[in-house]
Amino acid sequence: MPQTTDRMPEPASNRTPSPATAHTAEPEPISASGRAAEHPRERVDPLRTVGDARSTDEVRGARVVLGDGGRGPFKLLPSRPRRERSAKRDRHARTRVAFFRYSYYDIAFKFFVEHVLDADFVALPKPTRRTIELGSRHSSDMVCAPFKHILGDYIEALELGADVLVQFAGPCRLGYYGELQESILRDMGYEFEMLNFATVTGKPLTEYISICKKKVNPNVSVPHGARNMLAVFKMIECLDEANDFYLANAGFEVEPGSFERAREAYFADMREATCERDIAEAQRRGLDALRALPVRKPAQPVRVGIVGEYFTAADPTSNLDLERKLLAMGVELHRSLTMTNRNLRHNERNLRASIADYVTYNMGPTSSLTIASALRYAQEGFDGVVHVKSSGCTPEVDCVPVLQRIGRDTGMPLLYLSYDSQTSDTGLDTRLEAFYDMLAMKKEKTR
Amino acid sequence: MGSPVFPNKATHEGVRRIGMPRALLFYRYGSLWTAFFESLGCEVVLSEPTDKGTVARGDALSNDECCLASKAYLGHVAALLESGACDAVFVPSIANVGLHRGFCTKFQALPDLVANTFADKHVRVLSCLVNEREEKTGMKEALIGVASQLGIGPREAKRAWKAAAHAQTQAERFAVARQMRALTTLERAREAAHIGRSTTSTSHNAEGEAGAARANGPTAMIGGGGAGPRMAAAANARAAFNKGRVRASKEPLGILLAAHPYVAHDPYLGGALVDLLERMGATVLFTDETDRKRALQASFGFSNTLPWIVNRELVGSLMLLHERVDGIVLVSAFPCGPDSMTDDAIVRCIQGKPILNLTIDAQSGTAGLETRVESFVDILRYQRKGGYVHAADD
Repeated sequence: MPQTTDRMPEPASNRTPSPATAHTAEPEPISASGRAAEHPRERVDPLRTVGDARSTDEVRGARVVLGDGGRGPFKLLPSRPRRERSAKRDRHARTRVAFFRYSYYDIAFKFFVEHVLDADFVALPKPTRRTIELGSRHSSDMVCAPFKHILGDYIEALELGADVLVQFAGPCRLGYYGELQESILRDMGYEFEMLNFATVTGKPLTEYISICKKKVNPNVSVPHGARNMLAVFKMIECLDEANDFYLANAGFEVEPGSFERAREAYFADMREATCERDIAEAQRRGLDALRALPVRKPAQPVRVGIVGEYFTAADPTSNLDLERKLLAMGVELHRSLTMTNRNLRHNERNLRASIADYVTYNMGPTSSLTIASALRYAQEGFDGVVHVKSSGCTPEVDCVPVLQRIGRDTGMPLLYLSYDSQTSDTGLDTRLEAFYDMLAMKKEKTR
Repeated sequence: MGSPVFPNKATHEGVRRIGMPRALLFYRYGSLWTAFFESLGCEVVLSEPTDKGTVARGDALSNDECCLASKAYLGHVAALLESGACDAVFVPSIANVGLHRGFCTKFQALPDLVANTFADKHVRVLSCLVNEREEKTGMKEALIGVASQLGIGPREAKRAWKAAAHAQTQAERFAVARQMRALTTLERAREAAHIGRSTTSTSHNAEGEAGAARANGPTAMIGGGGAGPRMAAAANARAAFNKGRVRASKEPLGILLAAHPYVAHDPYLGGALVDLLERMGATVLFTDETDRKRALQASFGFSNTLPWIVNRELVGSLMLLHERVDGIVLVSAFPCGPDSMTDDAIVRCIQGKPILNLTIDAQSGTAGLETRVESFVDILRYQRKGGYVHAADD
């Protein structure tokens, strides 16, 4: 069985700034306090004698940099003067909290901010080309693509007046996202607070509560918050359940666009939920609406599983609408990587036990889930699996030899997609079409 | 393979020749591992130092998004397997040695990566898990587990651990002492040059020329020898060479090479660079040869959440030493995950010392490297003379 080991074209080899990038106006960083922002990263430029990573056209960056001493001590986050607005219980202004964009989970993030932290949620509009351009411009070239996406989101959130940004912790590079992004944004001149959960990893729950009180809202109610936290978890499970149904059936809709519309209506409904009962009702209504839609499903549809890295596999902006493209070809999709499966119902030991023939150790944040799901899909007779990751994601790169072995052993074709902030849409289309054709032909033959 | 935490007893009984790839964390824990197995009565088969062939072979074996250092690692494993000189290859899975003291996930995945890459070759992987945060197994517990896989009892294993820990401490202490010596020599030479400069400026040519002639004496012999020591040259040869050079140049340069140990000390990856710098008369100091504990401690002043211990030590060492050197060469293997984040942070935050940030990849020849390093050294020399950058301050 031919095995597709495709990769996106290497964009780094000719990385000349596109005219669009070169000419977009420098964003005006309007800080929350309105302070004019200067740009310390620009100041070191004249001394970048050779190979400024941004202007040369080679992979191997070599640059000479000399700071002018204006930045202060050798510290990622130099200490700041005490902010005027100290968090006193009696005179606390509601903070405006922003998350990064992450698929449809902004609905759960919104609920978390409003009902657990009891603060205002800054809803971000749909991301644009500018978002990723902003993010890429202000981050190192070699950093993984999610970092750039999230940085772009943060900049847009700050422009919309957010004063607290939230970042998670994780066992890979993600664990360092928060502090580095905070440092970059501060150097750009923004004023904000960062609720970075990486600063309290490994500490008791009380630390989590106290950091929320310190950064967001001194009046956070613990009993209220705890109850609503459970509602957040419930909501995430609901969202994933509805989306799983959408993925499995939207490829066979009779009326084009009907599933997409129903899902959007469901999301809007869920966004309005304010308590656990609302969530349950929105869920019931949404699932009913989705189930009522007419479908024309063949007896043996082409079934494809999606596995991969936490951010890129789940976020349509990052994976260039991979799911919608596959659905348009009439495929039954299953994606194991959801917050439900990775965060709420994750059992590392059991996952690893299911792949004991291939892997002994935990290889990183989502590796066991990726490998276990790929193996499960193969055993369940799926026609193919798409492995999605951001370019250079170490844990997922290390999964590839294992996945290749699984592919060899089971005869299931796998498509490997590696995304970076410059990956092209058309390149992806070609690959997906070729992959689909291969699967469909194989299915035809074995029938 | 058994559970990672409680490995099946004596699964590798009878294995006595242990293959040790000379790559990645061998450059950090080499003394420990070698001493441990040797005091257990095993034979340690070390792979040959990295060369072009090793990297080419590793490149062919790995996914092209892997970092250069890990490609070289697979090349080393392949060489060990081919030689047939060992019964099993030692590939530990190292996750962390505490909170914010983690390793790149690559080191966690290595045993499985090796097992899956060489699945058809029936490779025998001797492995263990180091994960203090979640499993409470430090290096000691992990290695004692390895001994039990080899069918060696805990009493003997503990004795071997003691010997190994001692060897490791000795090796680290030796490196630190050597670094301190080099630093003192450098600072003395600098003082001498400074005094020499002020005397020549008062009593003009004659003495200055004599001084130059005297200084040129020893160099003529060493420099005339040709290309200088090649990459495989032992460290003390390097130090001796250095001494001559430092005396030769009127303005001795101290350059701090900030890189992961497996890049800095690998003869193929970082060796060419070290050679090049020394040939230009610079004293090269290494970030991983600073007192590790102090460096780790210091790094918390730079960043609270930096997850990787190797990068922590690098940053901490920069904090301790950057005032005492003339310039910093920050090197990483392409494409290094942790470095992709910390290099940028370092370059943005460190002030007042010129930094050359290099990325080494498999294709790059040394030609491109040479021009860059030369121009950087020129910048440093120019700066020592008063330079264009802080001319106003001096």
